[in-house]
Amino acid sequence: MEDAYLGQAKDIILGQDFLTWLWYKSEAKAGLFTMPDGEAFSLFMEQRISVQGGEGDSKETTSVSGLMSELREAKLGLAMGKKVTKGQIRIEVDSDAWQMSLRAEDFSFNGFKTPKVDTKRDEGDDPDAIFLEKMYLIERGLSFIDHLFFEFLKLRLSEGWAEECENVRVWLSK
Amino acid sequence: MGFLSASSTFTRYRLIEEVPDSLWPQIPDRLKRNAFQDIDDTADERSFGWVSFENMLDNEWLTAPPDKGQYLAFALRLDTRRVSAAVVKKHVQIAQDIELERVREQGKKFVSRERRNEIKEQVMLRLRARTLPVPAYFDVVWNIRDNVIYLASSQSKLRSLFEDLFTLSFDLHLEPLTPYYKAVELLGEERAAALDDIEGERFV
Repeated sequence: MEDAYLGQAKDIILGQDFLTWLWYKSEAKAGLFTMPDGEAFSLFMEQRISVQGGEGDSKETTSVSGLMSELREAKLGLAMGKKVTKGQIRIEVDSDAWQMSLRAEDFSFNGFKTPKVDTKRDEGDDPDAIFLEKMYLIERGLSFIDHLFFEFLKLRLSEGWAEECENVRVWLSK
Repeated sequence: MGFLSASSTFTRYRLIEEVPDSLWPQIPDRLKRNAFQDIDDTADERSFGWVSFENMLDNEWLTAPPDKGQYLAFALRLDTRRVSAAVVKKHVQIAQDIELERVREQGKKFVSRERRNEIKEQVMLRLRARTLPVPAYFDVVWNIRDNVIYLASSQSKLRSLFEDLFTLSFDLHLEPLTPYYKAVELLGEERAAALDDIEGERFV
């Protein structure tokens, strides 16, 4: 049993609404996003998604996975009022790719993969070079997610949110 | 799986308070003061503390220092002795049977509850001393420029152990970057006040 903490209820609301919105947004924009500095990247939710609905004892979870599937069963769950609790995200910039599974309730990252780091080292190289490159790639991958979470928050707290919800509804009814 | 693995699992934190300048030079000492202590030759149930990022056997940072560019990197090592419940049950029964035999010879009919508990304790201690602790370690990376800390685990028990040891070691408090706290960080305290009234959206 995990201890309850301040903000836990809001964590679940924000995390699930974000991932649900992110799935919609990535499909609506065909995965194409831009960073504040103008850098383009693509983001898709793919392969594995868990959705959950209900409360307490009547909680229901559906996990769907499929390599090339459209995850229809999970989307059906959303159309029935469920929310995304965990989603696999793939980000690409040119030939670089990141992949991770993000959990809605606490934003923990599972199976976080960065573009490959060359582990070959020459004599005289900085002994920390591999570590520094890896951390750079991890933080770069995170910056895309953080940017989209910020975009989501701005929209969520704005008057435009009602319209966005309508868009999500239309997407779900398709 | 640590940060250098092809695939890693982690959670993020940020520091609630500013780090006093006087703390930075003390970090190596503070790590050593709270370093992992081996329990292979004891009967202790568990031990935890900091070790070097490069080598989980190195609790004196002889392999490499923790500072790497704009990061401090070390690891939390946790060794745990687990004796299987079935093994405990068997050996407690053996010990209690011997004790029962002994008290019968003295003309008594049963072993007191107090004595039975004592026997159980002794058996546990004996079994633990014969069981090797299982080591585990979790990378910790502290980005000192952004004051973000990464822990290579998402288990809640390990996380709270880490949070406590971190505060004990550095007198600094961590805030997990869960959706709510991350939102507060991104929006700034003022705009974040609106989050407190937020309710789950019904998309359908």
